[in-house]
Amino acid sequence: MTVAGKFDNGDGGEFQSPALERLVRSLSRLPGLGRKSATRLALHLVGHDEAAGPAEELVAAVTEARLQVTNCSSCGAITEADPCRICKSERRDSTQICIVATPVDILPFEKAGFYRGRYFVLGGLLSPLDGVRAEDLPFHRLGVRLEKDGVKEMIIALDVSVEGETTALYLQRLFADRDLQLTRLATGIPVGGALAYVDEVTLQRAFQFRRTF
Amino acid sequence: MDLTFSPRVNLVLGRNGEGKTNFLEALNFLALGRSHRGSKPDEMINFDKETLHVTLEVEEESGSVLTCEFGLDRSGGRRFRVDGEAIRRRADLVGRLVTVFFNPDSIRLVRGAPQRRRHFTDHGLSEFDPLFLSHLTALQRVIRQKTGLLRDHKKGLASPPETRRELESWNKELAVHAAEVCAGRQEYACLLTPYSHGTHKTLTDNDLQLGFRYCPNLECVKSRQKNDPEKPFAKEGLAADIFQEIDYIMESEIQRGRPRIGPQLDDFEVRLDGVDLRVYGSQGEIRTATIALILARSDVLYQKRQIRPVLFFDDIFSELDRHRAHRLQEMSSRHHQVFVATARADDIADWRPEEMKAWNVQGGGFTEADNEPPY
Ligand SMILES: [Zn+2]
Repeated sequence: MTVAGKFDNGDGGEFQSPALERLVRSLSRLPGLGRKSATRLALHLVGHDEAAGPAEELVAAVTEARLQVTNCSSCGAITEADPCRICKSERRDSTQICIVATPVDILPFEKAGFYRGRYFVLGGLLSPLDGVRAEDLPFHRLGVRLEKDGVKEMIIALDVSVEGETTALYLQRLFADRDLQLTRLATGIPVGGALAYVDEVTLQRAFQFRRTF
Repeated sequence: MDLTFSPRVNLVLGRNGEGKTNFLEALNFLALGRSHRGSKPDEMINFDKETLHVTLEVEEESGSVLTCEFGLDRSGGRRFRVDGEAIRRRADLVGRLVTVFFNPDSIRLVRGAPQRRRHFTDHGLSEFDPLFLSHLTALQRVIRQKTGLLRDHKKGLASPPETRRELESWNKELAVHAAEVCAGRQEYACLLTPYSHGTHKTLTDNDLQLGFRYCPNLECVKSRQKNDPEKPFAKEGLAADIFQEIDYIMESEIQRGRPRIGPQLDDFEVRLDGVDLRVYGSQGEIRTATIALILARSDVLYQKRQIRPVLFFDDIFSELDRHRAHRLQEMSSRHHQVFVATARADDIADWRPEEMKAWNVQGGGFTEADNEPPY
């Protein structure tokens, strides 16, 4: 292995407007936005002369959404009506409950449309480093819900991270003595994905949980 | 500044404090995702500049070329790209550009705290075993979480029954990753030992057996190793055994407020003909053993991935006797691209490798030196 190199000592640029700098900073704190895209957005928002430009529209939409949107008191989904559409629907199977970490995790299930059960949002994962302990998560409310709805199957759909795994293990331990089937989402090769590009960890899991034809 | 290095030997000459080490540090930054000596980005950027941007063309033995880049800015921002693709996790950088760094501090591999030897093993194995790396990363994360939980509890921030249930869950997750990490460490020590014997022999001309042996902290791992200490052991059922062992001492961990056993306390023995060099090694023995082990690590890597790491020697030849220094120079430049930083041209005076390039460093600036001693 050999290397050849280039070293470049550049000079960083700064805005001449502190207000613009503040806007860029607050945009770049949003998830998924780097400083570069934040700068592009900021310049787009402030670069209009008319009174009802994209900036005014955005401000109004944010204010409105902040007022209207709430979390379902039963499952934790994002909703304007409480309880939410899914919890109210007679056609959803209340004996199946899918445990997710955040309200956003419900969206892919609903988009796919195959799942007929209900949800329960934990609102986080066990993580002492972030100050999240068992007593901070709604396990008690979940226990009550299991009882009330006569839940028969609990499907754990948490992140595949040490926090997700540990939270799953905790749930398993917590409800071990209930007459309840605990299942977990399988992990493996994405559909349409070429095998050659699957990372080693995913491949190992897919192999571990391989099934017979 | 655009530099074309020799594919073989590059000498970096200059008085101390003129920027030799900074230069090696910048070249190494891409291999580690951080500074090898813990400098902050702010300390790596020229005092009158805002950013540092380094692009390296890395050519592998197979002939494929990777473009590796990193950028630093004073506010602590760091960006890495490999072939134009942004690298977000440091784990994804491991094994792309592979380097080995020697400096006077390297002897702490033998003499220093166990953490040094764990890191040496873990890094060496991660370079060709990404699964090991992912288990190691997960294990370290679980241990930090568990430590946080025990600390919270000690401070009275948690109720006892919940802490026990949580702790049990963390221990279960810990055991899954610990089993993989312990088995990997044993495997790596077994792989490394024959090579370290070989490199030690070439370096010193004596036939003493240099061995690197895994000393696990967990009893259940020790007992698996006992049957045949020179061979890897089976992983079946190990996670369950580890969980049991750790779960058994839960109360004492709760009492102490920190984890008491686990792979985070593993160590490795460095033995020269049965003598534990960590305790009984002379300065000279430790130095050659360190170099032999580090070179053996790159032999293992070559066996696994057909890659020869780039070697960096920062001011180490002055500490070796002439004969050994010469051996090391010959050994390293035979297969590797080498960067040697030194303040004393004497240290490399009798060395005339082919395709040598020399650079003078002064006040952070670079000039190509005449390719003839005394530089
Ligand atoms: Zn709901």
